[in-house]
Amino acid sequence: MRLLNKITLNLLAITLFIFLIGMVAFYYMLREQVDQNINLELQKRASNINKIFDAAHSSAKQTVNLNDTVIITQLTQSRKSERFSDTLLFNPETNKYTLFRQFGFVKTIYDRDYYIQIFKPLEETDRLIIRIVILMNLLVIMIILTLIIANRHSSRSDWKVFYDTIAKINNYDVNSHEEFTLHNSDIKEFDDLNRVLFTMTERIKNDYINLKEYIENASHEIQTPLAIINSKMELLLQSGDMKEKQFKMVADAYEASNRLSRLNKTLILMAKIENRQFPESKPVNPGIMINHQLESLEDLIHSRKIKVIRNMDPEVIVQMNPYLAEILLVNLIKNAVRHNITGGDLVLELSNSYFKISNSGPALQMDPEMLFKRFHTSSSSPESLGLGLSIVQKICAMYGFKVKYNYQNYMHAMQVDFLKA
Amino acid sequence: MKILIVEDEKPLSDSMVEYLAEEGHLCEAVYNYFDAVEKIELYQYDCIVVDINLPDGNGLDLIRLIKKQSITLGIIIISALNSLENRIEGLEIGADHYLTKPFHLAELNAHLKSINRRISYGGSNQIVINEIRLIPDEHKAFVHDQEIILTKKEYELLLFFISNKNKVITKAGLAEYLWGDYMDLADSYDFIYTHIKNLRRKLLKKGCEDYIKTIYGLGYKFELN
Repeated sequence: MRLLNKITLNLLAITLFIFLIGMVAFYYMLREQVDQNINLELQKRASNINKIFDAAHSSAKQTVNLNDTVIITQLTQSRKSERFSDTLLFNPETNKYTLFRQFGFVKTIYDRDYYIQIFKPLEETDRLIIRIVILMNLLVIMIILTLIIANRHSSRSDWKVFYDTIAKINNYDVNSHEEFTLHNSDIKEFDDLNRVLFTMTERIKNDYINLKEYIENASHEIQTPLAIINSKMELLLQSGDMKEKQFKMVADAYEASNRLSRLNKTLILMAKIENRQFPESKPVNPGIMINHQLESLEDLIHSRKIKVIRNMDPEVIVQMNPYLAEILLVNLIKNAVRHNITGGDLVLELSNSYFKISNSGPALQMDPEMLFKRFHTSSSSPESLGLGLSIVQKICAMYGFKVKYNYQNYMHAMQVDFLKA
Repeated sequence: MKILIVEDEKPLSDSMVEYLAEEGHLCEAVYNYFDAVEKIELYQYDCIVVDINLPDGNGLDLIRLIKKQSITLGIIIISALNSLENRIEGLEIGADHYLTKPFHLAELNAHLKSINRRISYGGSNQIVINEIRLIPDEHKAFVHDQEIILTKKEYELLLFFISNKNKVITKAGLAEYLWGDYMDLADSYDFIYTHIKNLRRKLLKKGCEDYIKTIYGLGYKFELN
């Protein structure tokens, strides 16, 4: 249904409903009022009859009933015409002047003109009019109020789909693995909008997936030629019949192709993390992994006179893929060792809710946000791919962990919160 | 050791054959699944190096077939696919190692040496190079019959050098052998330098000859006269 039709129909339905109820109410109220008036009239007539009877039996003076009063005046010269007018008459019963409607007309009797005036009190009809006005006003106020309420209600229900769509688009993430679904609506415009949005997001998603697959396939296809290049150069390096200059050139080329291999492998890993290709999740003890990693870096830590301070709960268990857990921890630990200073501290804290690793070092020269950007490396280590912390962030994002960086008291601290926010 | 190499990329296969032949292995190369099955049925091998993605079949099926015939045979998988499932599946059905392309020939060689030790001596063997003696099972090293205390990494390093003696060992190859894939290897070269310095010092202290030569800008060589 079109939005315009929907709104019109809503409005029509509401007004019709209120008018029907209003008409019935109006009819009964009016009826009641008229009945009351007639009753009053009848009562007055009854009292008049009583008075007439009383007057007939006694010498009491007959009261004047203005209702029945007819004033007849003989017209002498000026001719008067028929006319209605309002007039005040003294009512001896209530001792007050009251408003009357009068009608004057001319009657000719035996060639003489008489001007005849008859009266009807306005008091009761006045009351009737006031009642009607009040009723009408009430009816209008009721219509407006009901319309406002009904409109609000229908907005909330009819536009619900629209607001829902807006919220969904606002939170749309092409990388998300949840199905993008929009609610159906009985309104054509909203349905059209949802359909268009759905096709659009599907197309974006498909393009994105295609692109991603293309990159992945390319990365995989690169592996084999790289393997050939590397193996040939390795053989070349083993052959002793090269001059030093040539040897140096091959060595440089070999170094570069190795760098490319590593880069490619890391990018494939990151794509896999993004694609959630590590679904298997097990209880993992990070404490054991951390100690194991520290052991393998023991020599280096020792040679740089780094003091390792462990404050770890050995019982901590985290649910995650063991392979990814290892990659996460290794990258954090290596990072903290690499950027440490000779004679610095390496502080490791592990609890059920977080893992924090801190190392001594001078303050960062750059925006901490840049730390997690791909290919962002400090100039001091040109061999670094600058992907370590990117991997850390990817893994954390996959498990809903939060990574925080801060710098305090000459210590860089990386903290991973295991609890989902 | 008799080795069958099943790899569809001929240039890569050639490199492996050349490197391994120099080490004194007897290598045969086939380039597809069908030929590999034929060879396996006809001849006896000590070790097989197999690629998972073959033009006419899957390397994993080949491994299952081989394992039915001989249990002791060594198997090394080389694959461009570094998926964990493949790795786990490969190791579960009996492969000894899983190398991802691109890999270092020195690393392949080191793995083959360890397979060789396993199948020829049942693992309980020792490696003797002049005055150096290694007992791989116990991770122990001796110089002039005196034990030298090495860290785990230093021991692995020494074993790797001895496996690839008289070959140029690149720093990248060493790093990957010691720390595996995916590590940001930025300062692994520093790590390696530290390890080698310590290893050399420990060896020299016990009167061992200085076999480890530095090749400037590239790596090292374990040189026997």
